Amino acid sequence: MTLTIVRLYHDLLGTYGDQGNAEVLVHRAKAREIPVELVEVTPGMTVPTSGDIYLLGGGEDGPQTAALELLRADGGLNSAVTSGAALFTVCAGFQLIGSSLPGADGETISGLGIVDVHTVYTSAPRSVGELVCQPTRSHLPLLTGFENHQGLTELGPEMQPLGMVKRGIGNGFAGAEGVWHGNIIGTYMHGPALVRNPELADVLLASAVGDLVEFHDPYADALASERRKTLWPHS
Amino acid sequence: MRLSFACLVGNFAGWVSRISGRGRGETLRGRTILAIDPRALIKLSKGRELVLVSGTNGKTTTTAYLVRMLEAATGELVSTSKYGANMSAGIATALAQGPRNRLVVLECDELYLPSMAQDLQPKVIVLLNLSRDQLHRTGEVRKVANLWRDTFVTDDVTLVIDRDDPFLEFAAGSAGHVLRVSFGGRRHPDAATCPNCLKLLDWGSGDYLCSCGLGSQLAQVRGDQRLRGPARNAVLAIEAARLMGAIVPIELATELTENAPDRISNFEIGGHSIATRLAKNPESWREALAQVEAKCVILSVNARGIDGRDTSWLWDIDYSALIGKKVICTGDRRLDVAYRVKVQGVVEVATTETFEAAIAQAGSGPVEGIASYTAFQELAAAQLGIHARQGGRP
Ligand SMILES: [Zn+2]
Repeated sequence: MTLTIVRLYHDLLGTYGDQGNAEVLVHRAKAREIPVELVEVTPGMTVPTSGDIYLLGGGEDGPQTAALELLRADGGLNSAVTSGAALFTVCAGFQLIGSSLPGADGETISGLGIVDVHTVYTSAPRSVGELVCQPTRSHLPLLTGFENHQGLTELGPEMQPLGMVKRGIGNGFAGAEGVWHGNIIGTYMHGPALVRNPELADVLLASAVGDLVEFHDPYADALASERRKTLWPHS
Repeated sequence: MRLSFACLVGNFAGWVSRISGRGRGETLRGRTILAIDPRALIKLSKGRELVLVSGTNGKTTTTAYLVRMLEAATGELVSTSKYGANMSAGIATALAQGPRNRLVVLECDELYLPSMAQDLQPKVIVLLNLSRDQLHRTGEVRKVANLWRDTFVTDDVTLVIDRDDPFLEFAAGSAGHVLRVSFGGRRHPDAATCPNCLKLLDWGSGDYLCSCGLGSQLAQVRGDQRLRGPARNAVLAIEAARLMGAIVPIELATELTENAPDRISNFEIGGHSIATRLAKNPESWREALAQVEAKCVILSVNARGIDGRDTSWLWDIDYSALIGKKVICTGDRRLDVAYRVKVQGVVEVATTETFEAAIAQAGSGPVEGIASYTAFQELAAAQLGIHARQGGRP
């Protein structure tokens, strides 16, 4: 069986380098000799429903709304996650899979409703800087990334965050960062997130293929620990 | 009176900063002038003929081209800022140097362009390109385009633009006079959606059209499709010179468009001469990578201040030009770039703490460098320091 990774609209949602998340997943799968295929979905293409891991990145307001409308009209992403596919979303991508978010003119619009999170604009200044969080699932180390967003995101009552903020802003509500619901993850961490947190990349891979053999990638591990030590020297 | 006093004190401050080794003194000199006479920019530009050059990439080289062209064509001295100091202070310094020169060519930071256009009343503004750069400072590309569109609403200035760039077309949308140069159209990596209405932009083979009406316009000047960034900028500079009434000598025009120099410096370090390109955003990295010839390449990446503190954009760039080469990464964020090129498929990757150590590892063959902004500045400063010491102080 070939592992299928689906990168959605990276032309629209690739402003902050998040397309690197797909490359890292492919890299770590290949290193373990897992047959892997990267499917690139561009505007105008149908979203395949048979993928294993779907990825959405961050982007500017206009492209975010454009991507949301394309995904809503297509419906493929919603059905894929309903049947258990994994979904990893960053920033604008995280906001648009939620219940509601600000549209291009600041009005509230409904998102894809894949997770129950609500993004709003407040008078708070834009959240820009390094972000460090303690993941809510204990087997993972500290997660680091770079956030750059205007909207703040409140989790619905059934939703768990990806982590609790130790440095930076994150969701901006209750010290939470991101969302982790079943196989669905949302985060404000760029970097890209799976580059700086290889353990999180493995969580996604494992959700699709089961147990993974150990793999130590010296540069990936060195980068992850350099970022953790620089940003959170207390650990 | 106040102005000449301001310039005098400014000169002194610049001189002190230079001899005390704290940089070239350009910015301090300008700051001093503006602190003493806040209207200095308006006064210093009065009665002179100005061109402003702005855009994400190529401002400094294009400004230098234009100065060369105007000087060659008119035989007059042209006032300009030589070291890329492109905000108010640097511009005040440039204007105060040779205050009787009729012609002035100034590079201008994108965000300062609206106020500089207002204060300096230029005759021509050259808009080179707009692409992603320092997202934490300039924000989205569209925001800069919007800011410019609100600025260019008069007909006392002529804009020279690359009409293949939808952000520039949008920025010039309300301007009175626009000279459009086309290089045959090319897809803009940051313009998947319309800068005007945010709908998906319909890209044909290099030209674009939106249902709101924004689309590729007829160009008055057509350049060769194969030209790279610096050569395209040289063509825009030639058109700007023409608008200033200067006929550019054909040899110079040919030299600059056929053999446009990049922002490249030869740094002498540890007995090696390293041709190093400044690359400060995805577009300039792509340009730099396309030209690498040496078998060994040093990549120096920092994430301080002007570099932008987020290095995620390193993943927006295709490094396949480096496959098969030896790549040595240095700078504060060497691990970020090392892992990036590793994932791209470069096999021989090393990291070193300093540029000097990278050269020591490089071996004896030719080596080229690509450096982010502050890394490049550091190398340039080290060179100046070395030269000053070699020259010896009395
Ligand atoms: Zn439009």
